[in-house]
Amino acid sequence: MKGSLETQGSLKTLRYTEDGDVATIQLLRERTTMRMVRELTTVCDHLEDVSTCRVVVIRGAEGRFSRGIDFEEFRPDTPMDIHGFNKWEKCCVRIERLPKITIAAMEGAVIGGGMQLALVCDARIATGDLCMQLNEVRLGFLPGMATFRLAKYIGLGRAKRLIMQCPELSAEEALDLGLIDSIAEDLEVAIAETIASFEPIHPVTLELARRLLNESFAVDFENAIGNFLAAQHRSITQTAFLKTLKDHQNTSE
Amino acid sequence: MGSPRARILSIGTANPETYYTQADILERFRVKNPIVRSIFSASHIKGRYLFLPTPDADGIPRESQSELLAKHRAGALQLGRQAIARCLESEGLKPEDIDYLCCITSTGLMLPGLTAMFVRHLGFRNSCHRADIVGMGCNAGLNGLNPVSNWAVANPGKNALMVCCEVNSALYIYDDSVGTGVVNSLFGDGCAAVLLRSDDTDESRFAPRVLGFQSHLIPETWRAMSYHWSDEHGKFYFNLDRDVPYVLGTHAETPVAALLERFGLKRRHIRHWIVHSGGMKVIDAIKYTVGVTDHDMRHTVGVLRGYGNLGSGSFLFSYKRLMEEGTVRRGDYGVMMTMGPGSTIETALIRW
Repeated sequence: MKGSLETQGSLKTLRYTEDGDVATIQLLRERTTMRMVRELTTVCDHLEDVSTCRVVVIRGAEGRFSRGIDFEEFRPDTPMDIHGFNKWEKCCVRIERLPKITIAAMEGAVIGGGMQLALVCDARIATGDLCMQLNEVRLGFLPGMATFRLAKYIGLGRAKRLIMQCPELSAEEALDLGLIDSIAEDLEVAIAETIASFEPIHPVTLELARRLLNESFAVDFENAIGNFLAAQHRSITQTAFLKTLKDHQNTSE
Repeated sequence: MGSPRARILSIGTANPETYYTQADILERFRVKNPIVRSIFSASHIKGRYLFLPTPDADGIPRESQSELLAKHRAGALQLGRQAIARCLESEGLKPEDIDYLCCITSTGLMLPGLTAMFVRHLGFRNSCHRADIVGMGCNAGLNGLNPVSNWAVANPGKNALMVCCEVNSALYIYDDSVGTGVVNSLFGDGCAAVLLRSDDTDESRFAPRVLGFQSHLIPETWRAMSYHWSDEHGKFYFNLDRDVPYVLGTHAETPVAALLERFGLKRRHIRHWIVHSGGMKVIDAIKYTVGVTDHDMRHTVGVLRGYGNLGSGSFLFSYKRLMEEGTVRRGDYGVMMTMGPGSTIETALIRW
């Protein structure tokens, strides 16, 4: 398989493929196990170190995206610890900071950890049968760092409702809230359209824009403007901006 | 484990007794220029330890160039004595136990140099090997660490001491211009000493080995940070170009990438970044070019806030904070990075 992950054979919970510019991670299991977290991390290594793909699509299988954490790995009679949750968060941050455009292409159930995963992607699209829910609080635990990210997407009041009352959201409701960017009639077509909408992809500028946005709400204005100026200096010394200036010069001559 | 490496075994630091907030300094020298005042108040620096002169009645201190040189000499001796004693104390060593002494300064020209003065006054052996690195600026700590760690590797079991000693207040000129305002709002006085040794008996100790260095010079920014003689003031002064922090940031990626590639490492393998506290702009620039986080820069920003830019020893103050924090684990990699005139970016890879 062209551009396939070296360790493809050892991936059990994911399928990883590359087609031209686009890498696809398919979540084969309905629920997230520690093995899946490890495999996602391995895929991140590959995407950072080897892959020349510019776009990563994360999607599910068999009509659903993900139903979140797998409780099979927990034993109520053994002491609980936080390390697995820490590994999951580290994995989410890796995906959030990948030097690629990331797209969550969802259908059916997007529950708990599945929704957390969608929130770290640059774009989120879904089919009409979407059922989105952060159900953790109802089950007695917390929806990871969705407690940090969700309010940035939809505002504090709405985030409180979603996290504390755990409603199931339809595709229309998710679209209304801005949790998804569009409802897809045909997921394949919608993925292609979403990728096209990022063109032309200027990786450095896109990555800087994403980092500044992710830091918004969390950094005070004094520091934010210092960050912006540093990032802007880097952007305007890249070839993309220099090309814009040359094009402008040519058209105005 | 592979070829022998030098370890950084201990560190000691020292600063002058008197601490000034930015507001203290504005008041002391009766700074009027609103732009200079705003530079001081908007600064990411809370205060600095300085050997400040007493101003005349008009708020302007009158220090001749010869007085400034004397201040550098006396200040370096005072700070050097304290930092060296603190560094050696934890190792149960005395200056007479040191076999190689390397001193770094850019804030005053001495001849004989700092090492000769320290041998004369602080009890180092007359036979101690010496080197003075003078006039290389804020990056010089890593330009010194390179030969010091090589000397330690070439002379197993022997003690090598590096002392970065900067009396930036010996470079002050006072006028109401924005240029001097920027410089005078930024730099602080301080000294850091580190002990290095390459010895099998240190193998079990929790002390980082120095694995390698990568340098980068940006010759087209030759004048961006530079010393000049002012006929008007009859003193040397330091020029700092407005945009140089971002230019340094843009280039910082190059030596880091080369250093990591040489050791087969990726950015994510580096758990600790020990970066020179040059100023907030250059720290911001490094965050967005090298791709490090606010958390990675916590000690760099903290040292800037508490001490200002301490020149060549700044990064060692961050190193000390990191070691005291207790988050470092055996096997962790760290990158040290210093930036300064040339324009220069120096990097080093260390591993605990």
